Amino acid sequence: MPLLSLITFVPLVGAVLILALKEERKGLIRGLALAAAGIPFLLSIYAYAGFTSSAGMQFMENLSWIPSFNIHYKLGVDGLSLPMVLLTGLLSVISVWASFGIEKRIREYFFWFLLLETGMLGVFVSLDFFLFYVFWEITLVPMYFLIGVWGGPQKEYAAIKFFLYTLAGSVFMLLGILALFFASGDPGARTFDMIELSARSPLFAGAKFWWVFLALYVGFAVKIPAFPFHTWLPLAHVEAPTAVSVILAGILLKMGVYGLLRVNAAILPDLMIKFLPVLIIIAFINIIWGAFCAMGQRDMKRLVAYSSINHMGYCLLGIAAITGSYSAAGLSGAMFQMVSHGIITGSLFLLVGIIYDRAHTRNMDEFGGLASKMPLFAGLMTVQCMASLGLPGLAGFVGEFLCFLGAFGRTEQRIFVALSVIGILVTATFFLKLLKDVFLGEFNTKWEGRLSDVTGRELGTLAPLVALTVFFGVYPRPILDATEAAVRFLVDKTSAAAAAPAASTPATSAAVPLPAPATAVPR
Amino acid sequence: MPLTSLLPEIVLALAAMTILLGETAWRRASRFWVIPGAAAVCAAAVLAVKVPAASGGMFVMDGMGRFLKIVVASGALLTLGLSSGMKSWRPRGISWGAFVSLLLLSTVGLMLLVSSADWLMLVVSLELVSVTCFILTGFLKDDRRGSEAAIKYFLMGAFSAGLMLYGISLYYGVFGTTSLNALRTADLNVVPRLPLVGAAFFVLAGLGFKMAIVPFHMWAPDVFEGAPLPVTAFISSAPKAAAFGALLRALPNLDGLGVSGVVAILSLLTMTVGNVGALRQTNIKRLLAYSSIAQMGTVLMGAVAGGDSGRGAVLIYVLFYLFMNLGAFACAAVVADDAGTEDLGAFSGLARRSLPLALCATIFFFSLTGIPPLAGFVGKFSLFAAALEHGWAWLAVAAVVNSVVSLAYYAGIVRRMFFDEATRPGRVGLSISLAACVAAAVAVTLGAGLFPDRVLAWVRSSLP
Repeated sequence: MPLLSLITFVPLVGAVLILALKEERKGLIRGLALAAAGIPFLLSIYAYAGFTSSAGMQFMENLSWIPSFNIHYKLGVDGLSLPMVLLTGLLSVISVWASFGIEKRIREYFFWFLLLETGMLGVFVSLDFFLFYVFWEITLVPMYFLIGVWGGPQKEYAAIKFFLYTLAGSVFMLLGILALFFASGDPGARTFDMIELSARSPLFAGAKFWWVFLALYVGFAVKIPAFPFHTWLPLAHVEAPTAVSVILAGILLKMGVYGLLRVNAAILPDLMIKFLPVLIIIAFINIIWGAFCAMGQRDMKRLVAYSSINHMGYCLLGIAAITGSYSAAGLSGAMFQMVSHGIITGSLFLLVGIIYDRAHTRNMDEFGGLASKMPLFAGLMTVQCMASLGLPGLAGFVGEFLCFLGAFGRTEQRIFVALSVIGILVTATFFLKLLKDVFLGEFNTKWEGRLSDVTGRELGTLAPLVALTVFFGVYPRPILDATEAAVRFLVDKTSAAAAAPAASTPATSAAVPLPAPATAVPR
Repeated sequence: MPLTSLLPEIVLALAAMTILLGETAWRRASRFWVIPGAAAVCAAAVLAVKVPAASGGMFVMDGMGRFLKIVVASGALLTLGLSSGMKSWRPRGISWGAFVSLLLLSTVGLMLLVSSADWLMLVVSLELVSVTCFILTGFLKDDRRGSEAAIKYFLMGAFSAGLMLYGISLYYGVFGTTSLNALRTADLNVVPRLPLVGAAFFVLAGLGFKMAIVPFHMWAPDVFEGAPLPVTAFISSAPKAAAFGALLRALPNLDGLGVSGVVAILSLLTMTVGNVGALRQTNIKRLLAYSSIAQMGTVLMGAVAGGDSGRGAVLIYVLFYLFMNLGAFACAAVVADDAGTEDLGAFSGLARRSLPLALCATIFFFSLTGIPPLAGFVGKFSLFAAALEHGWAWLAVAAVVNSVVSLAYYAGIVRRMFFDEATRPGRVGLSISLAACVAAAVAVTLGAGLFPDRVLAWVRSSLP
């Protein structure tokens, strides 16, 4: 059974079917959308059940697609991508359910939403670089519409800014992909196969591949978003409708980190190592800058958006540990942080959306004393804020701890890691201030009778996320075990590149013996 | 050379004459004449595949010729569909027979152009295209803008033809013949350099006018705006495709002539001027005119790169461009019909009034931008690949930056269609022939984007 193809394209089928329905049949459209998002999630759980965590790529599918350029329709998942597929499935179901309140043009809404899901899943399961790029770009278009039609007051500006920024990043990625293709061998042996490219990584060492590395890095850094390419994020997050913010923060940002690991680390390990001193500084800036920007916000959604920049900084910090003595911990931490950030920040956006639906404002100054009026809401929000600020026992802590552990394993540049700890402190400050301003103190009487506690549907969307936050906080093994083999592969890859004398003879690339394709699959 | 190799052109020319005479004889000044016209174009396209190959002398019939003849015929067919389906074209009392036969004659010229093996043949066929296009541009005699555009187009065209003839005379001076083969077989190290480079530049200038390459692009926005919409659709696609075919045949190796650097700079300027110009337009035809300038600059990159991959990328792109561009024009025709204006504001709220049409238009505009999985992306991908392969990385970087800039105005139209509220009530209706045009263009844009290999293989096998 082509399991990964089913996971990827069921949402697309649902999207097309929805387009064929009449706008008036709202119940049917919503039901169909939920089914189209639910089936891939169930299938991805099935895939997880059959996944061997100690092995490499699994559930592979490989068909020839465009022989003229040796492009294949090649899918597969490993420990790096499977958690992302699961996360995408989960957050998509929850976001579709959370979108049931949308009344405006719902046929188009769910069409774009499900198209977006296909794009995201496709990015995580593709093993051919061309296919990867196609899915990568497919995610841009629906997001443009979702922000632009259903967004907030500045939606049009936010939508085009998002589109232009990320397209600018990704077109450079396209050139990088092409450059890798042309450098991957003699005319007959060139390939877009990401596993094969990774196996041939000695070919891509040396200074003349710097611009390729940077072109690819820029494409991913815009998505992460890593400083200085982060300026699109607050606007897009704030203007997007709630469910879209969940997807944006929960999954689209992870596509950038995923690409950084899957491409820059696995295909260009030599330059990745040389880039680490810069990456660690970028991680540091992301952490500190994101945290301080978040502290200055009075709009809750904006605060959560900036905290995402801060959290992605931890991810980068974990990745920057790749040459240290605790590199496995750092990489595991980065991957864990991707999942936990998706769950925690996704639920925070849902929570902020709940209060915005009732009060039509997200300004913290206008609230106060809500704990007594909305006790359940206050409880859920408190748990997730604590998780986000890294309270031990909740999911956020595990990822941050491992990222820092890994980063301290590097002997150089420890000062930046040490300074980054300040970010945790600031994060705690602004989340606690948020809780204090919104839930404690004097109740603003203008909300009297207008703020009801969470409804059944809202609780339904939040409960799984909160439960997972607690579960992964006390028992992180399911994620760490799944990612183990992928982490080991990346660590081996980079340490092999570090051990090689920097492949000082890239000019004789034709002379480098190419590994036989049969052995190309990393374990 | 067997005369049967000329059958596509012969059929089209005979059909053009018959339609012209038939209209006078039967006095049926109606849309009826589109039907025999379309039938003749289809017949010519089928014949272009079937007729025997020919080479030597004035005329070649090879793989590239067949490919481009089909491209040109597709353009003519879509234009016929577009013109017969556009309501705002009808009440002006135009002579349909004359319109159809002029379009067919123009197509004959284009088909001859892509098969020319001799400069004289090339000039004659180019003039046939030009003259018919001048008349088509000013076809609505009571329209002052159209007449003005026709005069501009004519003056510029005459000037460029002069430049081109001058280049050919230099070419003749170098080689003692006007055959295109002379350049291909000559040893470039022994022929006198300066006259040859001069010939290349003047010839490029002549073809550059047709392709609207900077600095020979000035006519395009005014002519595109002034000409009736179906004519604009035609002259923005088919002649450009054919002119690129002629360029590939006449100057297959820009690098060998030592002019590739200059042409690369022209390519860069063309994309940039086109894109920057398009950003500020408020009229859909003018916007598409600038967009077409920018797109042709991108295609020129393939000619600069050269080699099989570069030439192949040019051919792929002109095919895909023809369909996505004519698709965009078909959508514009529907919108302009409905609103009675060609202002961009006419697109406002189209998604509320006809979601399928808005989605189709979105596909065309995003394909023109180069977003996968659409045909335009495959075309741009091939062009970028060719540029990188042949060491034109800086040009490829400039081209991708330009792609991002072009998103700003293409997405501007999409924004109007989806984000803005409708300014007019009711649904947008479209005639059967316009719907067929849009459907055909969408089928190619989406189908070739998802499964491009057949087209890529076809192009590869048709390269000379």
